[in-house]
Amino acid sequence: MSSVNPTSESDLLDEEIASLKAQAATLRKNLKIETSTILSAASTHTILQPSAMTHNLRRPNPARKKLLVESDKQRAYMQQCLHRICSSVTSFKVHDPDPNAVDGGHILGLRFEVMSRGQFLRPYYVMLNRPYSGSKHLRIHRHTLPPAVPLAGLAARHLPARRPGSDEPPQHDLDRFVRMLRREIVRYHNRLGVSADLRRGLGLHDQTAENLTANDIVDVGIADIEAKQIRFTWADERSGRVVMDDDGKVLKLMVFGKQGRDWETTKELYGNYDRIEDVAKRLREYAQG
Amino acid sequence: MARISVPTTARLPSTLRVDSTNPAVQKSLSRLSRESLISLALDWLDDGSLPNAIPFLQRADDEDEDPDDIYPPCQSPDELRQLYLEMQQQKGSKRDVISRILEGDWRHGLTLYQLAMGDLAYFEQNPTSQKWSAYQILPLLPPSRNGEDEEILKVDRKSLTIPRFHPSTFLQNLQNQVLPDVKTHYQFHRPKDLPVLILRIFVIDSPYTTNLALSSRDGSGTAANFDSSRTVYIAFPDGVPALYVTKSQSTGSTSSGESKSLQSLIVDGVPKALSRPRERYTLKSSNLTSRNLDAILEKKGSGRTNSAGGGWSIYSDEKKKQSPLDTVLPTPPLSRESSDSSIGQKRGAELTPVQRAAKRAKVIAEARFGESGIVTDGRGIERVEIVLQDTFPSIRALAGDDDYERDADQTGDENRNTKRRRSKIDAVIREANSLDDDDDDVVMEDAEDAEDSQTWTPTIKISFQGAHVWAGVRQLVEAGIVDGERMPGWMTGEDGVTTGIVRHGRIRGHKGSGMT
Repeated sequence: MSSVNPTSESDLLDEEIASLKAQAATLRKNLKIETSTILSAASTHTILQPSAMTHNLRRPNPARKKLLVESDKQRAYMQQCLHRICSSVTSFKVHDPDPNAVDGGHILGLRFEVMSRGQFLRPYYVMLNRPYSGSKHLRIHRHTLPPAVPLAGLAARHLPARRPGSDEPPQHDLDRFVRMLRREIVRYHNRLGVSADLRRGLGLHDQTAENLTANDIVDVGIADIEAKQIRFTWADERSGRVVMDDDGKVLKLMVFGKQGRDWETTKELYGNYDRIEDVAKRLREYAQG
Repeated sequence: MARISVPTTARLPSTLRVDSTNPAVQKSLSRLSRESLISLALDWLDDGSLPNAIPFLQRADDEDEDPDDIYPPCQSPDELRQLYLEMQQQKGSKRDVISRILEGDWRHGLTLYQLAMGDLAYFEQNPTSQKWSAYQILPLLPPSRNGEDEEILKVDRKSLTIPRFHPSTFLQNLQNQVLPDVKTHYQFHRPKDLPVLILRIFVIDSPYTTNLALSSRDGSGTAANFDSSRTVYIAFPDGVPALYVTKSQSTGSTSSGESKSLQSLIVDGVPKALSRPRERYTLKSSNLTSRNLDAILEKKGSGRTNSAGGGWSIYSDEKKKQSPLDTVLPTPPLSRESSDSSIGQKRGAELTPVQRAAKRAKVIAEARFGESGIVTDGRGIERVEIVLQDTFPSIRALAGDDDYERDADQTGDENRNTKRRRSKIDAVIREANSLDDDDDDVVMEDAEDAEDSQTWTPTIKISFQGAHVWAGVRQLVEAGIVDGERMPGWMTGEDGVTTGIVRHGRIRGHKGSGMT
């Protein structure tokens, strides 16, 4: 017993240090949040305004000035956040650091918000520049979209480049381009969400090897780039596939056994499905026999 | 030996055996370490692969044991498995394991399947052993005919479809593209820590799919048969319409022209195998070649980093979550606070000019490279080749201009410098704007070249080589050897190419654009 004591004591101290550190980190974070809240409040701003403090005009207070700058920054940021929350596409200006960049490095940035399970994910960005002389036509410069979003095709449709032979300027429709692009992004993320829902709906997380029957599904995964096909595998190595359309509606359902198509199971699972949840329900019923 | 060998167009079966005395077999096994050899043998003995890798076992009715046999045959695969598991615990030399495999348990030869697994195990052991070239899969328009029977194929730029890849269908279609005097063996493999599916294609020049294709037993001619075999790998990355192809590697001596033609055959055949009725695809080289699959996956992979390299990588970083619900003012990436904390200096401390310059260089490097080009990120590209086609600055511009003379006093007349620089950029932009279009700009550029024939345009080829080229450039910027502000954008690697032509200071074809 005596040999246990010193280690437990040091363990206790370590624990205490760790908890204090965590507490300090939370407090620091709270402080930051509270600072930003106070700085952005309208009342703070009026207090800080020099017009309200006319007697201070002769002796400008550097600290107050700094606070005012800080407050302005915070308010600007809050406004940006508000715009981002309310409209899912926002624009901003950036400068291309490349000294040889076209149009003096002026870049129009577009920010596409994506949400998943009630949380904002890292937005997608599309940067546009204006490489054409004397015209305001835009061109995609850089972007962070995944390959599953057909950006090049959309750009060719709505932001076409000028063809070498023709004189007439191409018709650009940035508004439409952005709307179509956002639609594709949201669809893609919704399809990703659908397959995650299917996985959750089938209860793959709380399965153990013991209570598995042949009709239980052991694996659900996305089978293609655009997340339009979902592959699922039964415990007895049969596999199935759900094909969805752009909007996540179920188009087809196929089942493959060890030797090609498994028409038996396909027939049993056949139904008029509309949403992937119906498929999940049917699959659950099938597993229960 | 098969009784009759008929030339067919079928693929080589996985169970086809190669004689264990074949030097190619010994060479391929001796590349592996002892551990991977044993685990490879255990993989062969696994239930799933056993039918394709049947070991030499003692028959039940066969009682006469050869007393001179150093490796007496085992009774069952289980016994053999036990034996290799024991070997895993013991220490020993690699050579013992190889001779045990070749002269003992698989003395009747290794199957093509086993050889493929051996090669893939070697790839797992040395991931940089192959040089990959990235290709993009692009949809084609339905072919139009121009009077004659010639089909014009054009890339469908407006298409929104993204090609789908199904391994077994792909393989079936690829086999249809293979010529009848060439036989191939395919093996799919998924590496442990890379999101790609690798297809190994083993090619041999033979009309037969039986032992005749491989055996070195009958006379002189057929041993050369195995020598003419070549191996090509194709990698299909997850979640992106692209594929990576390696240069073919021959076991014997073949001319480089031959291996090149095989690669072009593959590049021709693969899009046909990917295509379906009324849905055609083509491959387009994306000028990206590297031994490092991670680096290629970053530039032509499924993530956000494909067209946001260099300084733009700050936008593709997944870890930074910029939720609009978070009201805390984010520290800009280049602000004093963030850089100070990383360097660890007190804000109040006076900096000497040298220190200030060093810090400035570091901040500029951060601005130009963002999160990319870090030595330890494991995404090193080992070779970059750039051809410069910009006109040489005229003598008049050179005479009074210190832009091109590094030893000039740069801080002294900073103002004058930036002014002139801007005017030069304007000129470049004007020039660029006069000829802009998508990618058929060759004619126009030629015309322009003829126009101002007074200017001298030397062809300059720059080649960067090293373990991690872009990290090296970044270090040069941080050390102040390369001026980070005036460095052209292609030196940050943001275009994602390893070979390119620079015109007007930007990689041509991309026009400084991340779109291809």
